[in-house]
Amino acid sequence: MGAESKWVGRNAGPVVRPYAVTGGRTEPADGEVLDLITVVVQAGPGPTGSDPIEFSPEHRRIVNLCRRPATVADVASDTALPIGVVRVLLADLIQSGRVKVQPQRPAGQQPSTDLLREVLHGLRAL
Amino acid sequence: MDSAPCDQADSSLAAFKIIIAGGFGAGKTTLVGAISEVRPLRTEEDLSSASVGYDSLSGVEAKTTTTVAMDFGRITLNQNRVLYLFGTPGQERFWFMWDDLCYGALGAVVLADTRRLADCFASVDYFEKHGLPFVVAINCFDGAPHHDHAEVRAALDLDPRVPAVLCDARKMDSAQQVLITLLEHVLAGRTGEDPGSWPAPAASQVPAPQI
Repeated sequence: MGAESKWVGRNAGPVVRPYAVTGGRTEPADGEVLDLITVVVQAGPGPTGSDPIEFSPEHRRIVNLCRRPATVADVASDTALPIGVVRVLLADLIQSGRVKVQPQRPAGQQPSTDLLREVLHGLRAL
Repeated sequence: MDSAPCDQADSSLAAFKIIIAGGFGAGKTTLVGAISEVRPLRTEEDLSSASVGYDSLSGVEAKTTTTVAMDFGRITLNQNRVLYLFGTPGQERFWFMWDDLCYGALGAVVLADTRRLADCFASVDYFEKHGLPFVVAINCFDGAPHHDHAEVRAALDLDPRVPAVLCDARKMDSAQQVLITLLEHVLAGRTGEDPGSWPAPAASQVPAPQI
């Protein structure tokens, strides 16, 4: 990705209106709003020229970031895209089978006591 | 053990989130920066819902979203356990974002500045109403009037089970102790102990900030 040289610095602010990269869509295609800490990971091969969907460079960057499991918030931070935009793009990738949601506890359900203890021990060990 | 069957295998990534709330200038950004790897995060919010009564749209009617930068930090506990801290937006007009932020959170820290204690009433109300466990961390600023816990608890009308601790949001070990107190509080509520036997407010465990 050496060719991915930036024309402007990060501090210059967005040169494109945020939702331009989603084609103006502000809602995820499947209507599912991903939580900030939902873990997503690449599924199947990355986007190729033969994809039925026209993937944007932003889609490709997200797939690359999802080669290892990552949270929605991590993806937004790493791409410097607003969360709402990332949610729309991730929904496209999930619908096309390029990215999948890593099963966690059911939405809204709290983690087990064992997991909470792990977090507590981890905090103490910092 | 009592693991829910839905919890994933130990080897896969598990992410957790804690909300850092409090009034404007109470030290949310400082605390997140003291204990976690801070990362840039922003969200585009619909201005029409965010700014009713706040932002004048006359002359800029085409602008329908506004950028909100969020306090966001990541604490890697181990290879597969990551804890995320999300600061709540300071302005009241972003209240509508709270449901999204707090969804599935382990708990919350309400940072209190004793000079402007009223600023954290709204956060306390929100977490009480939504049943999200929280602790109050009294950020001891230089020059802030020194109130004891009892005064702060009374002013906030805190449930006796809710821990209130002193902290120095600039110091890593102090921020760490606040999060540990929160996790202990969450676990105490979880394991169904008699509320009377919940740990007393952990103030005495917190190293007194140097004021």
